[in-house]
Amino acid sequence: MAQTFADQAVIAIENVRLVEEVQGKSRQVEEARKHKLQFLANMSHELRTPLNAILGYTELILDNIYGEAPDKMRAVLERIQTNGKHLLGLINDVLDLSKIEAGQLVLSLNDYSIKDMMQGVYVAVEPLANSKKLGFKLETPPDLLRAHGDERRLSQVLLNLVGNAIKFTDTGEVAIKAAAANGSYTIAVRDTGPGIAEADQAKIFDEFQQADSTQTKAKGGTGLGLSIAKRIVEMHGGRLWVESQPGKGSTFSFTVPLRVEQQAGQS
Amino acid sequence: MSKRILVVEDQEDNRQILRDLLGSAGYEMTEAGDGEAGVAAAKAQRPDLILMDIQLPLMDGYEATRRIKADPDLKRIPVIVVTSYALSGDETKARAAGCDAYVTKPYSPRQLLAKIKEYLP
Repeated sequence: MAQTFADQAVIAIENVRLVEEVQGKSRQVEEARKHKLQFLANMSHELRTPLNAILGYTELILDNIYGEAPDKMRAVLERIQTNGKHLLGLINDVLDLSKIEAGQLVLSLNDYSIKDMMQGVYVAVEPLANSKKLGFKLETPPDLLRAHGDERRLSQVLLNLVGNAIKFTDTGEVAIKAAAANGSYTIAVRDTGPGIAEADQAKIFDEFQQADSTQTKAKGGTGLGLSIAKRIVEMHGGRLWVESQPGKGSTFSFTVPLRVEQQAGQS
Repeated sequence: MSKRILVVEDQEDNRQILRDLLGSAGYEMTEAGDGEAGVAAAKAQRPDLILMDIQLPLMDGYEATRRIKADPDLKRIPVIVVTSYALSGDETKARAAGCDAYVTKPYSPRQLLAKIKEYLP
């Protein structure tokens, strides 16, 4: 009897020790995660500073501030500019994602016009659609209300969806459409691109994933945009999803409340 | 008379870009390499506009902007904060310090110039 009791006591003590050990370990993991994210944020910041000099001088030379640049030189400078901007895109995406994961991304909530936000994005990517000879349509219903949320971040989401649609569509058109109902509004971006197989549809929202990884090099992009877009929409208390069939194009949509008064809790 | 712009920036490469950019646009540029020197230069020179970096030795750009905006003689000078500090709340902090505009690095020199022209037509 005494022996059984003693055995149980030993087991109980051992259990307490194990629980403490697990708690200690998970604290360490949490610490390590925070350090990693802080490191990524600092690193992104440090990388932007020299890039400022590289991109800045390139633009100054292209603007003929140092004298007329010959065409051959201009062509090379434009390559430097394209690559520098791609690098900047990567750095910004890594910074955004690390901020979101560290819970440091704070939405700046203000009144904005949905129509202006959509038109801003439309104007920004129109040259891209024109250069690929794609149809490009924007439909904003006349009754579209003013909304409250982080306009800059929602523009970033829409810019990502429209940019992807144009990037992956070679013929046909890209159409942006908005509708408001029940205190929320939805923006849908429909394309006539290759479409996405059902098995790949969940994957594309993960970091560094594109449905067809052989396309990543050909199409460019960081593989972070959709994942960031989804998080931003969720921080507004909304959702982002895709409907697609191979060969029949894709429609990416997001719904957010018209009035976002408070940032949704982070996962 | 050409308009004078005070650049408060600690990195020589970035000062050189601004020297070339502002010079070619017909502005006169003066320089300070840290926040304290920036505030002193603003008082001594009364520039028409100030470009302010945030990460600076001795006194950061937030504090320097606050001091300039707290000075009745200087507060009307537009301050454009130019920073690669892009962590959350930075723009809010810069606005709270009283800056008139906020530009993140890397900036396009052409766009920065357009922003300056909004304040110095």
